[in-house]
Amino acid sequence: MQKYEKLEKIGEGTYGTVFKAKNKETHEIVALKRVRLDDDDEGVPSSALREICLLKELKHKNIVRLYDVLHSEKKLTLVFEHCDQDLKKYFDSLNGEIDLDVVKSFMYQLLRGLAFCHSHNVLHRDLKPQNLLINKNGELKLADFGLARAFGIPVKCYSAEVVTLWYRPPDVLFGAKLYTTSIDMWSAGCIFAELANSGRPLFPGSDVDDQLKRIFKLLGTPNEDTWPGVTQLPDYKPLPVYQPSLGLAQVVPRLPARGRDLLARLLTCNPALRMPADDAMAHAYFHDLNPSVKNDRC
Amino acid sequence: MAPTRLASKPIGVTDNFISHGITTRSKQLASLKTHKDNLKMPNKRKADSPLKDVTAKRAAFGDITNAYNKSCGANDKVMPLKKVTVESKMLPVVKSIKPQTTILNGKTSKTKQLQRVATNALETVQKHFAKDPPKPIATRAQNGILKNIERKSIGKENQNSSQNSTKSGRSDVSGEPSLYMTALENISPSEVTKEEYKTISDKLDKVNLDDSSNKLLDDETDIPHKPPPGVVDFDLENWNDPFQVSQYAMDIFNYLKSRERLFLIDDYLVRMEGITSWMRALLVDWMVEVQESFELNHETLYLAVKLVDLYMTRSSKTHPQQNRLTKEELQLLGASALFIASKFDERIPPLVDDFLYICDGAYTLSQLLKMEMNILRVVDFDLGIPLSYRFLRRYARCARVSMPTLTLARFVLEQCLLEYGLLENSDSKMAAAALYLALRMKSLGHWTPTLQYYTGYSVKDILPLAKAQNSVLHKKPKSAISTVRNKYSHTIFFEVAKVPLIDDSVLSS
Repeated sequence: MQKYEKLEKIGEGTYGTVFKAKNKETHEIVALKRVRLDDDDEGVPSSALREICLLKELKHKNIVRLYDVLHSEKKLTLVFEHCDQDLKKYFDSLNGEIDLDVVKSFMYQLLRGLAFCHSHNVLHRDLKPQNLLINKNGELKLADFGLARAFGIPVKCYSAEVVTLWYRPPDVLFGAKLYTTSIDMWSAGCIFAELANSGRPLFPGSDVDDQLKRIFKLLGTPNEDTWPGVTQLPDYKPLPVYQPSLGLAQVVPRLPARGRDLLARLLTCNPALRMPADDAMAHAYFHDLNPSVKNDRC
Repeated sequence: MAPTRLASKPIGVTDNFISHGITTRSKQLASLKTHKDNLKMPNKRKADSPLKDVTAKRAAFGDITNAYNKSCGANDKVMPLKKVTVESKMLPVVKSIKPQTTILNGKTSKTKQLQRVATNALETVQKHFAKDPPKPIATRAQNGILKNIERKSIGKENQNSSQNSTKSGRSDVSGEPSLYMTALENISPSEVTKEEYKTISDKLDKVNLDDSSNKLLDDETDIPHKPPPGVVDFDLENWNDPFQVSQYAMDIFNYLKSRERLFLIDDYLVRMEGITSWMRALLVDWMVEVQESFELNHETLYLAVKLVDLYMTRSSKTHPQQNRLTKEELQLLGASALFIASKFDERIPPLVDDFLYICDGAYTLSQLLKMEMNILRVVDFDLGIPLSYRFLRRYARCARVSMPTLTLARFVLEQCLLEYGLLENSDSKMAAAALYLALRMKSLGHWTPTLQYYTGYSVKDILPLAKAQNSVLHKKPKSAISTVRNKYSHTIFFEVAKVPLIDDSVLSS
């Protein structure tokens, strides 16, 4: 551990504490995530194990880079690239409304990172502003892969206890354990709306029921016609029948029509119809994206 | 242990053909008893020890096949189908195996303690299911088993409902043991009972390999990977089933194939002292048994076996001789590999106590955790290892082979897991060859353009490997490593281990 000098505590990850630190030789700033290994415990926690393995594979400009893993008797230390802030803090630091070009740039980078994960058979399963890192150059990176997992084809049943409530798709809220890349696309939609509203969460539900109601009030309550199979989901319960009353224009007033169209395609209750990341990247909303963002190769 | 039931004569095969070409396993067994050497025996590896050594090796090995010994030692001739039914599956085993273990191995307090734990667990299970129909429960240490129950009760209903259309009230009442669900994840998304499945599958077997019968939609332009003419576009056909991840399937499998070269396994035993390919086979056999008992995903088993071989390949190059793995640590390596693989792939992995338990107290917690870290270090925390099991499922689905045929190919692959001599082959190639062998064993035609396209292998590429796999099937069954064969003799696996064997000449014809 002598290689790094701890500077300050940044926060708590899914497991273990995160510190900002400096490489004593290169003076490079890094983030250190410490995983305690207790002797009477289960060895390396599965969340840490998965995060390390998956990030070792996922090398991409829009995914936080894992430089190194240091291990000693009692702990593992993950050495990450350091970013100045996460999207949540970015929102908090905004004065007034967010620049719509920034919305577009962030959204595109989020989708690009996701498309990379998905084409390398990885689901993130915990997308939210706190897990998206932003650096000084306006680059966005997916982080905290503690809930991520590699998936098979076809997918198998995975845990239904994934994704922070506000960003959890209706199929998973209904207890679906069989889900796929679409799980992340719903979260991406929620984040898109939150970006366009300068950090105001789209569906800040208090519990599963409230979360579902908030979603259906905006998008309409699904039924077997709009979403075949919905009533068969493990935790399905009939909820009040809301008509899709509010137009998206009222919900994300600053977003242009193309942006609203993309948002609607991401916020689709039926996971089978939800737009995948690489299709979303090709959406007309991004046609006028700053070429420097678009051409930025990984 | 060979199946005792006579394999029926394959339909449409003439006697003449049988007598020359096909070696059924029953015939094989019969001839083994009388004139062993008449039969075409597979090329045995030099390191294979003769049968008389088996007991000695096993003793030297500790308890690597302990559970096995009991189940077949007791009932001599009767085929030890350990997992015959749900109810009888593990519960009696918990009771019967452990005391015997105590006697056989003279284990003392630790064993007793484990036994008590197991009994407690048993009571918990019985209590839990007092009002409900019994469900399958694996042997677990108590703290693990509770989780297991939870997994059972929440995991079942959704297991196979990958399709939004048909939903029957089947799963819980049909008596279909859910423990094999992971093995049998269906190839067709809709839910049908096994009988229906079998009928349908058999029909499908006859028609599905006809490439020309599937017409493509040519108006779709948005498909990134367009197969050449004459090849079924599997992903396009499944575009609307999200669980097929059609959008990314081609990318993902290309990616996996490109990573195979990162995980090469060499002839590491030449660098290991005191470890033989026979010991490795015993170890893998035991790992298959653990996979069954804990109802682990097959991916977990395959990954764990990979970790074992990668560990030995790499550590035998870098570690000084005195630090290399000893045969006493082989089971520790296997258990730790399963421990890691479970944490990586399982929704609810067994607990560390469960892994200590299945080693019958041979190792301590700190030894297991140390080995865990050793393995992770040696493989550099990279567990995204391409697995033959995954490739096989993809190839079989693309070729639309039936569940029994896929299962037969899985049997081939799993039997070959025990085969040290095949380790240097890439996993995608192993999968392609196993599928080819299964197709030929069931007389289902040849390697189609579709298969060539999706696997990237021509018949010429895979023929030598398919022959090598075939010779593994032809090997004289050994009772010490019969777990795979027994497993796939079960009806839930369509008894594919009893499918008549074929001669190499059939493969090349």
